[in-house]
Amino acid sequence: MVISPALYFLFSPLIVGILGIIADKLKITKLREIAAILVSLWGVFSVWTLYTNGINAGDILVVTIGGNPPLGACFEIDAMSIYMGFSATLLSLLVTIYSVNYMEHDTRLTEYYALLSALTIGMVGVAFAGDMFTMFIFWEMMGIVSYSLVSFRKDSPGPIEAGFKYMVMGSIGSTILFFGIALLYGMAGTVNFAQMSNALHGTPMNIWLYLVMAMLIVGFGVKSAIVPMHTWLPDAHPEAPSTISAMLSGMLIETALYALTRVLYTLYEPTAFSQTMAVLAFLTMTLANITALRQSDLKRMLAYSSISQIGYMLIGLSAGTMLGVSAMLMHVFNHSLMKGLAFLSTGSLVHEANTRNIEELRGIGRSMPITTITLFIALLGLGGVPGTGGFISKFFLFSSAIPAGYVWLTVLGVLNSAFSMGYYLPTMYKLISRPLEDTKEYREAPISMLLISIILAVLVIWSGILPATVISMAEAGAEALVNNLADYIGAIL
Amino acid sequence: MEATIWLGTAFALFAIGLYCVSKSSMIRILFGIEMILNSGNLLFVYFGSVNHAAGYVDPLGHSIVIMSIVTGGCIVAVGLALIVNAYKQFKTTDSRELRRLRW
Repeated sequence: MVISPALYFLFSPLIVGILGIIADKLKITKLREIAAILVSLWGVFSVWTLYTNGINAGDILVVTIGGNPPLGACFEIDAMSIYMGFSATLLSLLVTIYSVNYMEHDTRLTEYYALLSALTIGMVGVAFAGDMFTMFIFWEMMGIVSYSLVSFRKDSPGPIEAGFKYMVMGSIGSTILFFGIALLYGMAGTVNFAQMSNALHGTPMNIWLYLVMAMLIVGFGVKSAIVPMHTWLPDAHPEAPSTISAMLSGMLIETALYALTRVLYTLYEPTAFSQTMAVLAFLTMTLANITALRQSDLKRMLAYSSISQIGYMLIGLSAGTMLGVSAMLMHVFNHSLMKGLAFLSTGSLVHEANTRNIEELRGIGRSMPITTITLFIALLGLGGVPGTGGFISKFFLFSSAIPAGYVWLTVLGVLNSAFSMGYYLPTMYKLISRPLEDTKEYREAPISMLLISIILAVLVIWSGILPATVISMAEAGAEALVNNLADYIGAIL
Repeated sequence: MEATIWLGTAFALFAIGLYCVSKSSMIRILFGIEMILNSGNLLFVYFGSVNHAAGYVDPLGHSIVIMSIVTGGCIVAVGLALIVNAYKQFKTTDSRELRRLRW
């Protein structure tokens, strides 16, 4: 039953790497790309297999490795994990297909595809982990792979600088997280989520629990770019190849947010972290929106927009109710589609025009209409225009804060959302307005890149018009985390 | 008393690591990261010897330490590779010189 997912976990980067080397040696064209696409398709099917094997009926699947939970490593997969895993593998599949044409002029492609599939496994592993240390290992796998992918084009100074900054901040974050895990181990005597929750959930808060909570927020918050710890993101996302920006912005920061949500809800009562999270949500969305307004680099503007979207998601986390968490999960899925689409369409534009400056891209929409229209759909979705998935999830997010008593947060969220149109709309206007001087001829992107953009655009509109599927899956995930925590603990004990 | 010594050492190592990270030399930053990771390792070793149920040391803490040393090695490998590339691009290992990207 779990054989295929287990094999996927163990071997997929290895398969891509070995087939890539064979393709290089024997000069078989496109074998490497086909292998990478098939492996990411295998990832989607693995997660789907797990989902149809009982998790859709509300079961919790426990896979132990090397003994029972206190000693052995353990994966504990519930509706929320499967939701994140499905989002990650779906985005990874689309990005891999897009990479075939986007990366064709780069060298070292074997490494690129192997690292991309390792990044996917890291994210799925964080979502599936059933104990802190398994989560930490996959966390580090995700982190280390993304450091090297950000600085993939190592021949120019920008990616190296961004990668070094990201490496330093990310590693400091994860080592602080490790210190927090050590303190938790000292308090609970175990690192398993269920057993730690059994020992610590509901106990009166003391200085050590607050210290651990601060360390967890810093450790997970660095990767999810919560505002005081966000400074690596606006450098790393523009300098990475656009496909990697789409993966990082679309899924990696949300995986970090998932890990934060899972650990906080498992260990603490929502009242313990709710107010801190509300303040962080306010800071994150406001500062990111204000800074995004004065960007001239299109990808850098999108990177700041990602930070502000993380701020909106934190509203759902701070609400501390099932409604809030389900709205957060909905926005995670919608944001992965919208930001993936935004970065991939921008990638097509940048690939053709060789510049990221919005002023120099003026008028490009007239010669690349389809790519520009898909980019418009993504930007409108990010701004929360009705008819796109972004509207539905933002509506749920902002309305979830009211019953929790954070009316000011709702008001500020709506204001921020309106304010963010102040940098999406001028960008759209510039892209289709008449060019100032010489009209350079741009060709429309290759068919495979266009196809992925169109698929993503259709998905964004689909989740805005027919949101029932996403809503029901997100609610199942939130219910498994918030209301049915006892089942999650009972599956291990 | 014993707990104070162990926890104090670990927190001191943590603080020294954070101090190292705030310096400008890239190599020193990498050392600082390793120090913070090792302070966590130290705590795991100590708590593993406290949390014993049947008279033997808890193997969980010690196995975690072995795995985290491996992870630390990976961080250092990627970090050193980035430093080598940064040296090729900027001809220095001073992280203050890396300031092309601002705002």
